[in-house]
Amino acid sequence: MTFSLLHATDFADRLLYKIIPPLKAGMIVLADRYTYTAFARDATRGVDRQWVRELYSFAVRPDLALYFRVPIDVSLDRLTARRVKLKFYEAGMDMGWSSNPNESFRLFQGAVLEEYDRIVDEFGLQVVDAAGSITAQQRLVRELIAPHLAPNATEKKTDEQPVG
Amino acid sequence: MSSPLDSTIEGANGGIQPGRYYGRGVPYLPIDGYPGKLIAIEGTDGVGRSTQIQLLREWLEVQGYGVVETGWTRSTLMQPTIELAKASNTLNKLTFVLLYATDFADRLEKEIIPALKAGFVVLSDRYIFTALARAGVRGIDRQWLRNLYGFAIAPHMVFYLKVDVETLIGRVLAARGMDFWESGMDLKSGDDIYDSFRAYQNKLLREYTSMADEFHFRNIDARRSVDYIQHELRKQVAAFLEPTT
Repeated sequence: MTFSLLHATDFADRLLYKIIPPLKAGMIVLADRYTYTAFARDATRGVDRQWVRELYSFAVRPDLALYFRVPIDVSLDRLTARRVKLKFYEAGMDMGWSSNPNESFRLFQGAVLEEYDRIVDEFGLQVVDAAGSITAQQRLVRELIAPHLAPNATEKKTDEQPVG
Repeated sequence: MSSPLDSTIEGANGGIQPGRYYGRGVPYLPIDGYPGKLIAIEGTDGVGRSTQIQLLREWLEVQGYGVVETGWTRSTLMQPTIELAKASNTLNKLTFVLLYATDFADRLEKEIIPALKAGFVVLSDRYIFTALARAGVRGIDRQWLRNLYGFAIAPHMVFYLKVDVETLIGRVLAARGMDFWESGMDLKSGDDIYDSFRAYQNKLLREYTSMADEFHFRNIDARRSVDYIQHELRKQVAAFLEPTT
């Protein structure tokens, strides 16, 4: 619960300083992770799903939300290839599910992925197959973004109600 | 808007039994049947809460109760961050609210719930009503706030040390002077700290009053002497902890 609120506080700060001002100025904001990360991660840690959604109701609804989906083995391979040690919280070691970081990661991130699948349907996230090549992914991403960048698209009003 | 007494309100509302979560709670921490008691002492700045809590604690301990104290912004995790944020003037009112909620969540998980489980009397120097009042004055959506604090536990007793703004001004000036946040200077209603303090504290008092009935506040006249207030607290706490019938 505390972990969840700490992240929400950080998010609120970034929303108000880094996201809303450029949106008001008509700029494009690319957010690397958004509230959906919190929905997935916090629910996996046992926080009430509905409560987290209501907590983040001050967030701006994105014009487009992309979800890069990978099987758990692929993400584990990529991470372990890049660095030796998995991060404590990333591996969900705080859950006490396994004392082996790799096994813990598999269990925890597996549960997170299941939450994401739920969220994809609930919020209409666009799924990108992240097991594919970078080029294929980037082409798909460009296709998905293009309609939002058509002339006048920047005129579109986003749902800017920061508080409540 | 629904009426304040409507217990169908999601999140923190007055229709909840003491010792239970107000709303959706902390799903991984079931608290039903815990033997401890949660007693909240509310009131604005300068009403003498800490003096009363100290006296109450000594008295309870002499009676043989185990007592744990917890206070607003006192979590070891968040206190330094909150102090820093207050000092640096970059704090938006929404971020402010969330920092307080984080501090409260930390104390709830680490102090309050374990103490209730072990059968302690938990004396809380301020409780969520302070957060609801401060945020309410700052125009944060009330329903959102109540949902936010749906993880809080409804106290067994809430004492509200009630004071009028004139008395409060006298006390605060005599004790240490008016400070930026207590005067609501962040609301930018003017440069004059006295006027701002008066207007802000008046609004806060109105917020507390608006919650009094719903959350079953036990009002105590904070203009009375320290001894009188303490006597009143002890009388009511004793009646609750050791009913004679």
